[in-house]
Amino acid sequence: MNASAATISHGHGHDHDNGHGHDGHHGPVLQYQPGLPLSRGKLIMWLFLSTEIMFFAALLGSYVVLRFGAPVWPKPHHVHLSEPIGAFNTFVLICSSVTIVLALEAARANRTGLAKFWMVLTLALGTLFLGVKGYEYQAKFSHGIYPWSPRSRVFEKPDLYYGSAVRARLGEPAIMDRLKELDDAAENTLSPEEVSGRRRLKQIGQMVSSPDQQPFDLAVVADQVMPLPVDASADHSGNSGHGSHGLNDTFPWLKLPAVIPGGNMWASTYFLLTGFHAIHVLVGLIVFAILLLYRLGPKRAGMIENAGLYWHFVDLVWIFLFPLLYLF
Amino acid sequence: MSVPHSDPAHTHGPITRVGEIPGHDDHDHDIGHPSGDHGHGGIAKYLAVFAALCVLTTMSFLTYSPAWPWRNEPHVGWAFMMAVSCTKAMLVVLFFMHVLWEANWKYVLTIPAAMMALFLGIMLIPDIGLRTRMVAQERALHMARPSDVRLMEQAGEAKLLADPAGQQNHN
Repeated sequence: MNASAATISHGHGHDHDNGHGHDGHHGPVLQYQPGLPLSRGKLIMWLFLSTEIMFFAALLGSYVVLRFGAPVWPKPHHVHLSEPIGAFNTFVLICSSVTIVLALEAARANRTGLAKFWMVLTLALGTLFLGVKGYEYQAKFSHGIYPWSPRSRVFEKPDLYYGSAVRARLGEPAIMDRLKELDDAAENTLSPEEVSGRRRLKQIGQMVSSPDQQPFDLAVVADQVMPLPVDASADHSGNSGHGSHGLNDTFPWLKLPAVIPGGNMWASTYFLLTGFHAIHVLVGLIVFAILLLYRLGPKRAGMIENAGLYWHFVDLVWIFLFPLLYLF
Repeated sequence: MSVPHSDPAHTHGPITRVGEIPGHDDHDHDIGHPSGDHGHGGIAKYLAVFAALCVLTTMSFLTYSPAWPWRNEPHVGWAFMMAVSCTKAMLVVLFFMHVLWEANWKYVLTIPAAMMALFLGIMLIPDIGLRTRMVAQERALHMARPSDVRLMEQAGEAKLLADPAGQQNHN
């Protein structure tokens, strides 16, 4: 259904009634219909997208304020953020935008099998995006970076609160048992990094329990728990194979609190922005899954086009999120 | 009341101009037309845009390459990355979302959105982002400061607990 601005009621092959307008009038009979030259569904979808623009503008605006107003912001490798994974996700979403456009073209050309194929591919690419996002989130969670307390094991600076948190964790019964196990283990049963790790663990245990801790001592403790190299090349033995960095990496069960200056604010904005984006991606995937139940011919082209508009918008948001979160 | 373009493939609606009869030009309809439709150019345009998007995404990593001349001025890098993002966004909006071929209502949508984006940057970054010097005491007690970052760097370099197994390869 079209809301047309003006219609000319003759000289048009599609007309049902007049055909060629010799109905006694001398010229074309104009029939004005109010409205915009686009279908209702499309109009509503664009209105909805405007509200979504406002939504993400609010989130991005607050990210801009918080980031540029923060005295300290963590570097990407400090929070285990991998730019190549982000770039891969960008590529996946761009591909899925292309495939949904190709699905639309195929549907318009009444090639329903092809349209279905492209739409299934779009669904698959979107699911891949969500899977990679989940893997990224897991990488953050495994280092204790959560968007809220008490889950978050990230401290802003190596102060006495940090020292007491390390003490508290080392004093937990389960951890003390495992530490004892570690101490009792013979040296030849452990890997070299575990051997040096347990020695360093003992040392930091003493450092956080000593009565006159200086900030520098606590900074050394924090550096042992999870080091923050100045540039990425020192750290990048790949994100999964961290090598022998940090006691939290050597002993995955240890989960000591770590210090990442600015880390909590970073986590908050990162998880909020990418979380909402992921929810939008999920909604788009549900829409595609429902569309796949229909026959994707020219009759459905309008629906496919509107779903495609939503999906392109999701891609658009990611195009802005990627540099703002990963590359800045 | 006649309803021209009841063919649902024409979801753009007729774009009528004075003296023109809508639908007169593209009468051979797409059923069976594999690539062209509405004379918008077919798949080739979308693939060209896709290639451009891939190139632009790669370009946004240019600031990381050793050949980037403005390493000491991060603002140049940020401006470059935002320019790349805006170009990508324009390509997606114009071609994938078909806005290039839409009627004048597209300006009602795009111009206020562009204004909003511009105002967002201009108002927020200098006026609020760069002027947050006053923080609440509770935040001040716990927030990180540049001195803490320096402390962590010094602690890392000191390698007080360096071990002979050779894992830390400085010193």
